[in-house]
This record gives sequence, structure tokens and C-alpha cells, in this order.
Amino acid sequence: MNNLKITIGLEVHCQLSTRAKMFCRCGTDYIGKGPNSLTCPVCLGLPGSLPVLNQRVLDLALQLALALGCRILPKVVFHRKNYFYPDLPKGYQVSQYDYPIGVNGSIDYALQGQRKSVRIKRVHVEEDAGKLVHEGMALMPDQSGVDFNRSGIPLAEIVTEPDIRSPEEARECLMMFRSLVRYLEVSDGNMEEGSLRCDANISLSRNPGEMGVKVEVKNMNSFRSVYRALSFEVERQKVLLHEGKEISQETRHWDEIKHVTVSSRGKEEAEDYRYFPDPDLLPFSIDEASLMNIREKLPELPLERKERFMLEYELTESEAGVLVSSKMLADFFEECLKELNKPKTVCNWITTEVLRNLKNLGKNINQSEITPKAFTELLRMIEKKEISGTIAKSVLEEMFTSGMNAREVISKRGISFISSEKELENIVVDVIENNPQSVADYLGGKQKAFNFLVGQVMRQTRGQASPEMVKNVLYKQLSAGG
Amino acid sequence: MAHLSRLEFTEQELETFFRDLNNILVHFEKLDTLDLSNVSPTSHITWTSPPVNPDQPVEWGREEEVMRAAPKVEDRYFIVPKIVDKQEG
Repeated sequence: MNNLKITIGLEVHCQLSTRAKMFCRCGTDYIGKGPNSLTCPVCLGLPGSLPVLNQRVLDLALQLALALGCRILPKVVFHRKNYFYPDLPKGYQVSQYDYPIGVNGSIDYALQGQRKSVRIKRVHVEEDAGKLVHEGMALMPDQSGVDFNRSGIPLAEIVTEPDIRSPEEARECLMMFRSLVRYLEVSDGNMEEGSLRCDANISLSRNPGEMGVKVEVKNMNSFRSVYRALSFEVERQKVLLHEGKEISQETRHWDEIKHVTVSSRGKEEAEDYRYFPDPDLLPFSIDEASLMNIREKLPELPLERKERFMLEYELTESEAGVLVSSKMLADFFEECLKELNKPKTVCNWITTEVLRNLKNLGKNINQSEITPKAFTELLRMIEKKEISGTIAKSVLEEMFTSGMNAREVISKRGISFISSEKELENIVVDVIENNPQSVADYLGGKQKAFNFLVGQVMRQTRGQASPEMVKNVLYKQLSAGG
Repeated sequence: MAHLSRLEFTEQELETFFRDLNNILVHFEKLDTLDLSNVSPTSHITWTSPPVNPDQPVEWGREEEVMRAAPKVEDRYFIVPKIVDKQEG
């Protein structure tokens, strides 16, 4: 039973980062806004209203399709996908059918150091539907509330070929999609807020030469749930195959609380969307010059950047992976290197202390007060042994919360950090004079006594000297005295 | 089709619709007999650059009128009958 072939394909929706909706001028910034406050006749589907394409939707979709290595189709045609549901006021969704933006691309990602590739079938754009609310307010059990703020927000849909072989691969591939859309700045790629959504098709087959029965899994709202839901499906289907039972072709929903997939009941007998070209939207050709322009402006993509970081800065795969997971963080890292060319040190501090502080504050690096200049100044002070690593950590924390630079934090706290060796020497001499027994023990060969003396010096300096420097000075003094 | 469109009809209505739809299908069958092998499908007759919007939000500002026109509104939500048997992606 172990030689079952797992086949997974993904369907990823991401909300394109436009300020206005896809076919009207309503704003897209609906988080925290009252229901139906960002609406107009177009996105409410009122009779007689006419859609006009937001130019930026096309630009972003072209960037995405080009970055995925797709062939761009020369024509843009919008189709109506017809179905009845209360969140869809027009009775159809404007989408694309036989003329998607791009076809035949691929996305590469790495899993455990191995580079993998998944083919992309198509990238197309479509409008989002409204949002239904089933509870709250004074709703009767048989009623729902509709909010059309999301209606008409542009989405890009990316459909992969079934090239994925395990739930781990599916998760990694999806994370690469997120990195990619963030790098391109075409979407914020936030799964929790629904700006990145993923459905999957999965099948298991005993015969590696053929595909098994396809099951569609929906409602996976995080990378972890994608992994868990697909792992659950693998196990469920394995058991069924083992028992000699049939797997039925169906749609299943991931239950985040019970950690199971559940068959969606009431599947339409005929999913006929009756696609046809939208008569309200004129088809048009993509102009070659603007396509060239977009192609030239594509930024370095995450996988290339990761590999360059490993090569150029001698970072490990996981270090480079953490840095390139966000374009802002990778940019910050490279800005820092311009100030202080110590890739390993800068990387260590960013991947531990900087990320920890950002997480505590709930901010990203660009929203924080830290500049590459201020950050590297702090690192340089540690290098020069002006402050200890421990103090630097707490100074950095205050730099994050107050926006002050390192020297300002230090002088505000009254840390007269011990920078001169001379000053430290005086303290060391004092400690040596006051602890003759320990000095004798040390000279007699007891290493413990040395550590005790270091402790004494640190106490005298109230922790403001770097332990490294204390050890050096103490060693020098003891050797000289002995 | 009645199921897909979530409409309920009486037997008599269904019979009428059946007859009407059948007539439409017969009509299309007639069209199907035409030889169109040399004619490419036409969805639109113009292929000029359509107008586009800039990516700058403009408030419509007349949401209240829509609220007043809706059959039922609660806390600014439009209230509709609950349908749970379909979850569209």
C-alpha cells in the first residue's frame, strides 16, 4: 500500500492590490468599514449600470503572469460565469474563460534543499463576490445578511497542473506563491484575511501510470490547514483504497475545529455556468509596448534571491529563506550590508532579535522605527565592544518602541557604558586587590576562581561592560601581576 | 433548470415552460443546419480600445438611497433568505 501515487493540483485566488474595484471606482479598503459603505450601482448589480475596467488590474495580472513564466495571450476577453447566489447581485461573475491573461507557466520552489517545479495551467482575473453573514444582528434563523463591500474587488486565479506529490509540497508551493505575490507587490498575500485563498484537487492511485478519482478540498484558511487537510485526505483515501472501496468524486470542506474534511452535501447536479462573452465589456488587444515595459520592471524573484544570498553572503538555506520570505526584510538586510559588510552578523541579528521585536509589536520592518543606519550603528558598537550583546538586545528593544537611536537610548538610561579600557582596568585592579584568595586560587590553577573574578567585575560595572572585554583585561592584569 | 435557478413552479407552469423551451430548442436546431464552417464566432463587433478607469477610488455617496429602496435592511446589511446548500468558491 505504500506505493500509492499522490497527485495534487492547486487553485489559488489572490486579491490584487488595487485601490479601486475592478469595474467601478469604489474603494477596496473594506477592513473596518461599515457594511455596504463601499458600493455603487456597478458592484451592487443595479440595472443599467455599466462596468469599466480598472487599468491597474490588467497591469498587476500581467506582472503576475509574466513572473510565472506564462505565455501572455494577445487578447483580453471577459466572460460571464452565471450562477445564482445572494452574494452575487448580477446573477453572474465577470471572469475569464477561453482567453485567460496567461497560460503555460511554472513556479519553482525548494523543499529540503531540492528545487521543484510546478507547471501553471493558467492565470486569469475575475471579480470577487459579496459576503454573507449568517448570524448576529437580529437575524431570523432562515435569513442571511449581505455586505457588498467585497463585491467587485479584483482577484487573480492561478491554476496549477497536478504536479504536486505530497501535502508538504503543496504547502511549500503555496508559500512560494505568497512570496511571489508579495515580491511583485501585486497582492498582500494574507491568508488569514482572505486575500490569498487556496483550493486543492487531490487523488490517490495504485497505478502510477494513471490518476485516481479527483476530490476537491475547500475552505483551507492557512498554510497549516492546507497541510493538515491534504494529509487527512491522503490518509482517508488510503484507508478506502485499502478496504477496496470506491472513492467518490466530490467536493469536501476542511473543518478547522474537528480537523477532518467533510463532504459538501447538495452538490449541484449540473454545474453549468453558461459562460459567454460579456457584452458590456469590449474585448481588446494587449499593446506590445506596455507588455515590454512591465516585463522590464519585474523585480528579482524570491527563489533567485535566496540562491543569490546563499552564494554571495554564504548564508545557510534556512537563513536565506527567512530573509527572503518578505521582500521588505530582504531589502532591509541588503541596506544594512551597505552600512556594515558583515552578512553573518547582520543576518543573525535580523533573524532573531529584529524578528522577535517586530512580532511583539505586530509590525513589519517598514512600519517599524528602525532604519538600517540605526540598526547597524548598534551592531558596530557591539563589534567595538562598547556594549555587551545582552545590553544591545535591550537597547534594540527600546529603539523599536521609542524610535530613538542606540546612543540616545544609552544616554537616556544613564548607562555610562564602559568604553575605555583604562576605566575598566581600574575596576579590575580594585577587584584583584579585594579578592586575594580567589587570585591565589586562580594562579594555583582553579579556572572557577577566574569566573568568580569576572563576575565580581561585572557586578562592579553593573553589567555595562562587555564580558569579552572584562575577560581580556582581567587576564592581562592577572598575568602581569603573577 | 428550475432547481439550478432555485425557482418553484406549479405543474401547469412547468408544462408551459417545457413547451416554450422546447420551441426555442427547435429554433436553434434549425439554425444548426446552416453551414457556418467559414464564419468565425463573433461576440463583439468593435475591437477598439475600450475606456479604462484610473486606480483612484471615488465615493458614490448615495448608499442611503439603496438602503431605502431595499426590501429589508438590518444594521446596514441587506437581508435575504438563507441558502446554505451551496458554497461557491
